[in-house]
Amino acid sequence: MEEGPIIQTQEFACTICKTSMDIEDLYCSECGYPEKGTEREIALYHARRAMQKNQNMDADKKIRLARNILYVMAGIVLIFGFFSFFEDEDLGVLITNAILGIIYLLLGAWTSKKPLAALLLGLFLFLTTIIISGIFDPSTILRGIIFKIIIIVYLGVGVYSASSIKK
Amino acid sequence: MSIVCSSCNVELYREVKFCTRCGKQLLKNNVDKRTSSLNLIIVFYATFLLFAVVSYLLYNEYPLNLYVEIGIESVFALMVVAFSLFDYKQIVKLYKIPKLNRKVLAFSIVFPLFSAIVVSLSIGYLNESLFGVSENYYSEYLYLEYPLLWAILFTAILPPIFEELGFRGFLFNSLQKVVSERITIIATAFIFALIHFSFISFIWIFPFGLILGYMRSKYNTLWYSIIIHFIHNFVVLMIDYYNFNYSLF
Repeated sequence: MEEGPIIQTQEFACTICKTSMDIEDLYCSECGYPEKGTEREIALYHARRAMQKNQNMDADKKIRLARNILYVMAGIVLIFGFFSFFEDEDLGVLITNAILGIIYLLLGAWTSKKPLAALLLGLFLFLTTIIISGIFDPSTILRGIIFKIIIIVYLGVGVYSASSIKK
Repeated sequence: MSIVCSSCNVELYREVKFCTRCGKQLLKNNVDKRTSSLNLIIVFYATFLLFAVVSYLLYNEYPLNLYVEIGIESVFALMVVAFSLFDYKQIVKLYKIPKLNRKVLAFSIVFPLFSAIVVSLSIGYLNESLFGVSENYYSEYLYLEYPLLWAILFTAILPPIFEELGFRGFLFNSLQKVVSERITIIATAFIFALIHFSFISFIWIFPFGLILGYMRSKYNTLWYSIIIHFIHNFVVLMIDYYNFNYSLF
Protein backbone atom coordinates (compact mmCIF):
# COMPACT_ATOMS: atom_id res chain seq x y z
CA MET A 1 0.00 0.00 0.00
CA GLU A 2 1.38 3.37 -1.00
CA GLU A 3 1.54 6.06 1.61
CA GLY A 4 -0.06 9.42 0.72
CA PRO A 5 1.86 12.64 0.85
CA ILE A 6 2.38 14.00 4.32
CA ILE A 7 0.84 17.45 4.60
CA GLN A 8 2.61 19.64 7.08
CA THR A 9 0.83 22.70 8.37
CA GLN A 10 2.71 25.34 10.30
CA GLU A 11 0.97 26.56 13.41
CA PHE A 12 1.31 29.71 15.48
CA ALA A 13 -0.67 31.29 18.29
CA CYS A 14 -3.09 34.23 18.28
CA THR A 15 -1.40 37.39 19.56
CA ILE A 16 -4.34 38.17 21.84
CA CYS A 17 -5.85 34.93 23.19
CA LYS A 18 -3.00 32.52 22.38
CA THR A 19 -5.32 30.07 20.60
CA SER A 20 -3.29 28.04 18.11
CA MET A 21 -3.80 29.17 14.50
CA ASP A 22 -3.00 27.70 11.14
CA ILE A 23 -0.44 29.64 9.07
CA GLU A 24 -3.10 30.26 6.41
CA ASP A 25 -5.63 31.72 8.88
CA LEU A 26 -6.21 35.45 8.57
CA TYR A 27 -8.38 35.72 11.71
CA CYS A 28 -8.27 33.92 15.06
CA SER A 29 -11.04 31.31 15.21
CA GLU A 30 -11.60 31.97 18.93
CA CYS A 31 -11.51 35.76 19.39
CA GLY A 32 -11.66 37.02 15.79
CA TYR A 33 -8.36 38.97 16.03
CA PRO A 34 -7.20 39.97 12.49
CA GLU A 35 -3.72 38.46 12.78
CA LYS A 36 -2.82 39.58 9.26
CA GLY A 37 -5.24 42.48 9.10
CA THR A 38 -4.67 46.11 8.22
CA GLU A 39 -4.08 48.70 10.91
CA ARG A 40 -7.68 49.82 10.59
CA GLU A 41 -8.99 46.27 11.15
CA ILE A 42 -6.77 45.83 14.20
CA ALA A 43 -7.90 49.20 15.58
CA LEU A 44 -11.54 48.19 15.06
CA TYR A 45 -10.92 44.92 16.87
CA HIS A 46 -9.41 46.71 19.87
CA ALA A 47 -12.25 49.25 19.88
CA ARG A 48 -14.78 46.39 20.06
CA ARG A 49 -12.82 44.79 22.92
CA ALA A 50 -12.71 48.09 24.82
CA MET A 51 -16.46 48.51 24.39
CA GLN A 52 -16.96 44.97 25.67
CA LYS A 53 -14.78 45.71 28.72
CA ASN A 54 -16.77 48.89 29.36
CA GLN A 55 -20.00 46.92 29.18
CA ASN A 56 -18.63 44.46 31.73
CA MET A 57 -17.78 47.28 34.17
CA ASP A 58 -21.25 48.68 33.63
CA ALA A 59 -22.72 45.21 34.28
CA ASP A 60 -20.91 45.02 37.63
CA LYS A 61 -22.53 48.28 38.70
CA LYS A 62 -26.00 47.04 37.68
CA ILE A 63 -25.48 43.79 39.59
CA ARG A 64 -24.43 45.68 42.72
CA LEU A 65 -27.51 47.89 42.44
CA ALA A 66 -29.80 44.86 42.06
CA ARG A 67 -28.12 43.21 45.07
CA ASN A 68 -28.74 46.33 47.16
CA ILE A 69 -32.41 46.18 46.16
CA LEU A 70 -32.58 42.64 47.57
CA TYR A 71 -31.12 43.88 50.85
CA VAL A 72 -33.56 46.80 50.95
CA MET A 73 -36.45 44.38 50.30
CA ALA A 74 -35.21 42.20 53.16
CA GLY A 75 -35.18 45.22 55.46
CA ILE A 76 -38.64 46.43 54.43
CA VAL A 77 -40.19 42.96 54.79
CA LEU A 78 -38.61 42.35 58.22
CA ILE A 79 -39.56 45.78 59.55
CA PHE A 80 -43.12 45.37 58.28
CA GLY A 81 -43.32 41.93 59.97
CA PHE A 82 -42.19 43.32 63.33
CA PHE A 83 -44.44 46.36 62.98
CA SER A 84 -47.46 44.10 62.27
CA PHE A 85 -46.62 41.91 65.21
CA PHE A 86 -46.36 44.78 67.69
CA GLU A 87 -49.46 46.45 66.24
CA ASP A 88 -51.83 43.47 65.85
CA GLU A 89 -49.89 40.67 67.62
CA ASP A 90 -50.12 38.73 64.40
CA LEU A 91 -47.57 35.93 64.80
CA GLY A 92 -48.47 34.49 61.36
CA VAL A 93 -47.46 37.69 59.54
CA LEU A 94 -44.30 37.96 61.66
CA ILE A 95 -43.16 34.40 60.81
CA THR A 96 -44.10 34.73 57.12
CA ASN A 97 -42.22 38.03 56.83
CA ALA A 98 -39.25 36.66 58.77
CA ILE A 99 -38.98 33.75 56.29
CA LEU A 100 -39.35 36.13 53.35
CA GLY A 101 -36.82 38.60 54.78
CA ILE A 102 -34.28 35.85 55.45
CA ILE A 103 -34.70 34.55 51.87
CA TYR A 104 -34.06 38.07 50.49
CA LEU A 105 -31.00 38.43 52.73
CA LEU A 106 -29.60 35.06 51.64
CA LEU A 107 -30.19 35.87 47.98
CA GLY A 108 -28.50 39.26 48.43
CA ALA A 109 -25.47 37.60 50.00
CA TRP A 110 -25.43 34.90 47.31
CA THR A 111 -25.31 37.60 44.62
CA SER A 112 -21.60 38.13 45.24
CA LYS A 113 -20.88 34.48 44.36
CA LYS A 114 -23.65 33.51 41.91
CA PRO A 115 -25.20 36.78 40.69
CA LEU A 116 -27.21 35.29 37.83
CA ALA A 117 -29.01 32.64 39.88
CA ALA A 118 -29.44 34.86 42.95
CA LEU A 119 -30.94 37.80 41.03
CA LEU A 120 -33.18 35.58 38.88
CA LEU A 121 -34.60 33.94 42.01
CA GLY A 122 -34.87 37.35 43.68
CA LEU A 123 -36.89 38.63 40.72
CA PHE A 124 -39.20 35.59 40.85
CA LEU A 125 -39.59 35.96 44.61
CA PHE A 126 -40.56 39.62 44.24
CA LEU A 127 -43.08 38.87 41.46
CA THR A 128 -44.60 36.03 43.50
CA THR A 129 -44.92 38.26 46.57
CA ILE A 130 -46.84 40.84 44.52
CA ILE A 131 -49.18 38.15 43.19
CA ILE A 132 -49.79 36.55 46.62
CA SER A 133 -50.51 39.97 48.17
CA GLY A 134 -52.80 40.76 45.23
CA ILE A 135 -54.73 37.53 45.71
CA PHE A 136 -55.33 38.26 49.40
CA ASP A 137 -56.05 41.95 48.82
CA PRO A 138 -56.41 43.08 45.14
CA SER A 139 -55.92 46.73 46.13
CA THR A 140 -52.25 46.02 46.97
CA ILE A 141 -51.43 45.42 43.29
CA LEU A 142 -51.71 49.11 42.44
CA ARG A 143 -50.23 50.30 45.72
CA GLY A 144 -46.71 51.63 45.06
CA ILE A 145 -46.94 50.43 41.47
CA ILE A 146 -44.15 52.77 40.28
CA PHE A 147 -41.73 51.46 42.92
CA LYS A 148 -42.70 47.91 42.05
CA ILE A 149 -42.01 48.50 38.36
CA ILE A 150 -38.66 50.16 39.18
CA ILE A 151 -37.66 47.19 41.37
CA ILE A 152 -38.69 44.68 38.67
CA VAL A 153 -36.74 46.62 36.02
CA TYR A 154 -33.59 46.88 38.17
CA LEU A 155 -33.71 43.20 39.13
CA GLY A 156 -34.32 42.25 35.49
CA VAL A 157 -31.42 44.43 34.30
CA GLY A 158 -29.27 42.83 37.02
CA VAL A 159 -30.19 39.33 35.77
CA TYR A 160 -29.27 40.08 32.15
CA SER A 161 -26.11 41.94 33.20
CA ALA A 162 -25.03 38.93 35.24
CA SER A 163 -25.73 36.72 32.23
CA SER A 164 -23.68 38.99 29.94
CA ILE A 165 -20.51 38.76 32.06
CA LYS A 166 -20.84 35.08 33.05
CA LYS A 167 -17.83 33.13 31.82
CA MET B 1 -17.81 18.15 10.96
CA SER B 2 -17.31 20.97 8.49
CA ILE B 3 -19.24 24.22 8.24
CA VAL B 4 -19.45 26.84 5.52
CA CYS B 5 -19.01 30.52 6.35
CA SER B 6 -22.22 32.37 5.50
CA SER B 7 -20.23 35.47 4.53
CA CYS B 8 -17.29 34.29 2.36
CA ASN B 9 -18.45 30.67 1.68
CA VAL B 10 -15.11 29.21 2.71
CA GLU B 11 -15.35 25.67 4.13
CA LEU B 12 -14.14 25.33 7.72
CA TYR B 13 -13.27 21.88 9.03
CA ARG B 14 -14.24 22.38 12.67
CA GLU B 15 -16.70 24.43 14.70
CA VAL B 16 -15.20 27.87 15.19
CA LYS B 17 -16.48 31.10 16.74
CA PHE B 18 -15.05 33.26 13.95
CA CYS B 19 -14.38 32.51 10.29
CA THR B 20 -10.59 32.23 9.93
CA ARG B 21 -10.76 33.73 6.42
CA CYS B 22 -13.07 36.77 6.75
CA GLY B 23 -13.44 37.17 10.56
CA LYS B 24 -17.24 36.91 10.61
CA GLN B 25 -18.67 35.74 13.93
CA LEU B 26 -20.16 32.30 13.19
CA LEU B 27 -21.17 30.55 16.39
CA LYS B 28 -23.92 32.15 18.36
CA ASN B 29 -21.92 33.18 21.39
CA ASN B 30 -22.64 31.95 24.92
CA VAL B 31 -24.26 35.20 26.00
CA ASP B 32 -26.84 34.99 23.19
CA LYS B 33 -27.58 31.36 24.02
CA ARG B 34 -27.94 32.18 27.72
CA THR B 35 -30.20 35.13 26.91
CA SER B 36 -32.53 32.91 24.85
CA SER B 37 -32.74 30.37 27.68
CA LEU B 38 -33.24 33.13 30.27
CA ASN B 39 -36.06 34.66 28.22
CA LEU B 40 -37.78 31.29 28.04
CA ILE B 41 -37.38 30.69 31.81
CA ILE B 42 -38.83 34.12 32.62
CA VAL B 43 -41.74 33.65 30.20
CA PHE B 44 -42.38 30.19 31.73
CA TYR B 45 -42.54 31.62 35.24
CA ALA B 46 -44.62 34.67 34.27
CA THR B 47 -47.08 32.38 32.46
CA PHE B 48 -47.46 30.28 35.59
CA LEU B 49 -48.04 33.34 37.73
CA LEU B 50 -50.74 34.50 35.33
CA PHE B 51 -52.24 31.01 35.31
CA ALA B 52 -52.27 30.99 39.13
CA VAL B 53 -54.16 34.29 39.25
CA VAL B 54 -56.74 33.19 36.66
CA SER B 55 -57.20 29.83 38.46
CA TYR B 56 -57.71 31.61 41.77
CA LEU B 57 -60.34 33.91 40.27
CA LEU B 58 -62.13 30.97 38.62
CA TYR B 59 -62.12 28.89 41.83
CA ASN B 60 -63.57 31.89 43.66
CA GLU B 61 -66.24 32.56 41.04
CA TYR B 62 -67.20 28.90 40.57
CA PRO B 63 -66.44 27.04 43.81
CA LEU B 64 -67.09 23.30 43.96
CA ASN B 65 -67.37 22.89 40.22
CA LEU B 66 -65.93 19.77 38.60
CA TYR B 67 -65.81 21.31 35.11
CA VAL B 68 -63.76 24.26 36.37
CA GLU B 69 -61.40 21.84 38.16
CA ILE B 70 -60.98 19.73 35.02
CA GLY B 71 -60.58 22.86 32.88
CA ILE B 72 -57.85 24.32 35.12
CA GLU B 73 -55.99 21.01 35.34
CA SER B 74 -56.19 20.62 31.55
CA VAL B 75 -54.86 24.13 30.91
CA PHE B 76 -51.99 23.47 33.35
CA ALA B 77 -51.16 20.20 31.59
CA LEU B 78 -51.33 21.84 28.14
CA MET B 79 -49.10 24.71 29.26
CA VAL B 80 -46.46 22.34 30.60
CA VAL B 81 -46.57 20.20 27.46
CA ALA B 82 -46.41 23.31 25.23
CA PHE B 83 -43.26 24.59 26.99
CA SER B 84 -41.76 21.09 26.90
CA LEU B 85 -42.08 21.08 23.11
CA PHE B 86 -39.27 23.69 23.01
CA ASP B 87 -36.93 20.96 24.26
CA TYR B 88 -38.83 17.77 23.48
CA LYS B 89 -35.81 15.76 22.27
CA GLN B 90 -34.00 16.14 25.60
CA ILE B 91 -37.18 15.77 27.64
CA VAL B 92 -38.26 12.51 25.94
CA LYS B 93 -34.93 10.98 27.06
CA LEU B 94 -35.93 11.62 30.69
CA TYR B 95 -38.82 9.16 30.32
CA LYS B 96 -36.54 6.24 29.46
CA ILE B 97 -37.09 3.53 32.09
CA PRO B 98 -33.95 3.44 34.27
CA LYS B 99 -32.14 0.24 35.23
CA LEU B 100 -33.71 -1.09 38.39
CA ASN B 101 -31.66 0.00 41.36
CA ARG B 102 -33.18 -1.48 44.53
CA LYS B 103 -31.56 0.98 46.91
CA VAL B 104 -32.75 3.99 44.92
CA LEU B 105 -36.22 2.50 44.54
CA ALA B 106 -36.37 1.75 48.27
CA PHE B 107 -35.35 5.35 49.01
CA SER B 108 -37.99 6.61 46.54
CA ILE B 109 -40.65 4.75 48.51
CA VAL B 110 -39.49 5.26 52.11
CA PHE B 111 -38.48 8.94 51.88
CA PRO B 112 -41.92 10.24 50.74
CA LEU B 113 -43.65 8.14 53.44
CA PHE B 114 -41.51 9.90 56.00
CA SER B 115 -41.84 13.37 54.43
CA ALA B 116 -45.63 13.05 54.09
CA ILE B 117 -46.09 12.17 57.75
CA VAL B 118 -43.75 14.93 58.96
CA VAL B 119 -45.37 17.54 56.70
CA SER B 120 -48.93 16.52 57.59
CA LEU B 121 -48.20 16.82 61.28
CA SER B 122 -45.97 19.89 61.39
CA ILE B 123 -47.27 22.13 58.62
CA GLY B 124 -50.89 21.23 59.41
CA TYR B 125 -50.26 22.26 62.99
CA LEU B 126 -48.40 25.45 61.97
CA ASN B 127 -51.12 26.54 59.54
CA GLU B 128 -53.83 25.93 62.10
CA SER B 129 -52.08 27.61 65.00
CA LEU B 130 -50.67 30.60 63.07
CA PHE B 131 -53.39 31.32 60.55
CA GLY B 132 -56.38 29.38 61.92
CA VAL B 133 -56.56 27.59 58.56
CA SER B 134 -57.19 23.87 58.48
CA GLU B 135 -56.51 22.40 55.03
CA ASN B 136 -57.89 19.01 54.12
CA TYR B 137 -57.29 17.84 50.54
CA TYR B 138 -59.94 15.12 50.80
CA SER B 139 -62.76 17.34 52.10
CA GLU B 140 -62.37 19.69 49.08
CA TYR B 141 -63.96 16.98 46.89
CA LEU B 142 -66.86 16.04 49.14
CA TYR B 143 -69.30 17.73 46.77
CA LEU B 144 -68.63 14.96 44.22
CA GLU B 145 -70.05 11.45 44.14
CA TYR B 146 -66.73 9.63 44.63
CA PRO B 147 -64.68 12.21 46.56
CA LEU B 148 -61.72 9.94 47.33
CA LEU B 149 -61.26 8.94 43.68
CA TRP B 150 -61.40 12.55 42.47
CA ALA B 151 -59.07 13.64 45.27
CA ILE B 152 -56.57 10.93 44.29
CA LEU B 153 -56.75 12.01 40.64
CA PHE B 154 -56.37 15.76 41.27
CA THR B 155 -53.99 15.59 44.23
CA ALA B 156 -51.87 12.46 43.88
CA ILE B 157 -51.83 11.52 40.18
CA LEU B 158 -51.94 14.66 38.00
CA PRO B 159 -49.57 17.01 39.94
CA PRO B 160 -46.63 14.57 40.04
CA ILE B 161 -46.96 13.89 36.31
CA PHE B 162 -47.21 17.49 35.09
CA GLU B 163 -45.28 19.32 37.82
CA GLU B 164 -42.35 16.97 37.34
CA LEU B 165 -42.48 17.46 33.56
CA GLY B 166 -42.63 21.25 34.05
CA PHE B 167 -40.09 21.71 36.84
CA ARG B 168 -37.68 18.77 36.71
CA GLY B 169 -38.14 18.46 32.95
CA PHE B 170 -38.46 21.73 31.04
CA LEU B 171 -37.31 24.19 33.72
CA PHE B 172 -34.40 21.99 34.84
CA ASN B 173 -33.14 21.59 31.26
CA SER B 174 -33.49 25.33 30.56
CA LEU B 175 -31.66 26.32 33.76
CA GLN B 176 -28.88 23.85 32.96
CA LYS B 177 -28.10 25.99 29.90
CA VAL B 178 -27.74 29.08 32.08
CA VAL B 179 -26.13 27.94 35.35
CA SER B 180 -24.21 24.94 36.71
CA GLU B 181 -25.83 21.60 37.59
CA ARG B 182 -25.66 22.28 41.35
CA ILE B 183 -27.24 25.71 41.00
CA THR B 184 -29.89 24.24 38.68
CA ILE B 185 -30.97 21.83 41.45
CA ILE B 186 -31.16 24.71 43.96
CA ALA B 187 -32.95 27.07 41.54
CA THR B 188 -35.61 24.52 40.45
CA ALA B 189 -36.28 23.65 44.10
CA PHE B 190 -36.62 27.35 44.91
CA ILE B 191 -39.01 28.06 42.02
CA PHE B 192 -40.96 24.86 42.76
CA ALA B 193 -41.40 26.08 46.35
CA LEU B 194 -42.40 29.60 45.23
CA ILE B 195 -45.10 28.36 42.87
CA HIS B 196 -46.89 26.70 45.83
CA PHE B 197 -47.67 30.22 47.07
CA SER B 198 -46.99 29.69 50.76
CA PHE B 199 -43.92 31.06 52.49
CA ILE B 200 -44.58 28.82 55.51
CA SER B 201 -44.61 25.77 53.21
CA PHE B 202 -41.34 27.02 51.71
CA ILE B 203 -39.65 25.47 54.78
CA TRP B 204 -40.45 21.95 53.58
CA ILE B 205 -41.13 22.30 49.83
CA PHE B 206 -37.65 23.73 49.16
CA PRO B 207 -35.73 20.76 50.68
CA PHE B 208 -38.29 18.38 49.14
CA GLY B 209 -37.58 20.01 45.74
CA LEU B 210 -33.83 19.65 46.35
CA ILE B 211 -34.27 15.89 46.77
CA LEU B 212 -36.40 15.66 43.61
CA GLY B 213 -33.89 17.74 41.65
CA TYR B 214 -30.97 15.68 42.94
CA MET B 215 -32.68 12.44 41.85
CA ARG B 216 -33.37 13.94 38.42
CA SER B 217 -29.79 15.11 38.09
CA LYS B 218 -28.07 11.97 39.36
CA TYR B 219 -30.15 9.36 37.50
CA ASN B 220 -31.14 11.48 34.49
CA THR B 221 -34.74 10.31 34.66
CA LEU B 222 -38.04 11.77 35.81
CA TRP B 223 -39.39 8.44 37.08
CA TYR B 224 -37.88 8.58 40.58
CA SER B 225 -39.11 12.13 41.17
CA ILE B 226 -42.57 11.20 39.87
CA ILE B 227 -42.70 8.19 42.25
CA ILE B 228 -41.51 10.26 45.25
CA HIS B 229 -43.93 13.10 44.44
CA PHE B 230 -46.83 10.66 43.92
CA ILE B 231 -46.25 8.72 47.16
CA HIS B 232 -45.82 11.93 49.15
CA ASN B 233 -49.05 13.49 47.86
CA PHE B 234 -50.93 10.18 48.14
CA VAL B 235 -49.92 9.63 51.76
CA VAL B 236 -50.77 13.25 52.70
CA LEU B 237 -54.18 12.73 51.10
CA MET B 238 -54.70 9.42 52.91
CA ILE B 239 -53.81 11.06 56.23
CA ASP B 240 -56.34 13.81 55.44
CA TYR B 241 -58.92 11.15 54.53
CA TYR B 242 -58.33 9.24 57.75
CA ASN B 243 -58.29 12.47 59.73
CA PHE B 244 -61.58 13.59 58.24
CA ASN B 245 -63.37 10.30 58.86
CA TYR B 246 -61.81 9.12 62.09
CA SER B 247 -60.20 12.28 63.53
CA LEU B 248 -56.86 10.58 64.06
CA PHE B 249 -54.97 13.74 64.94
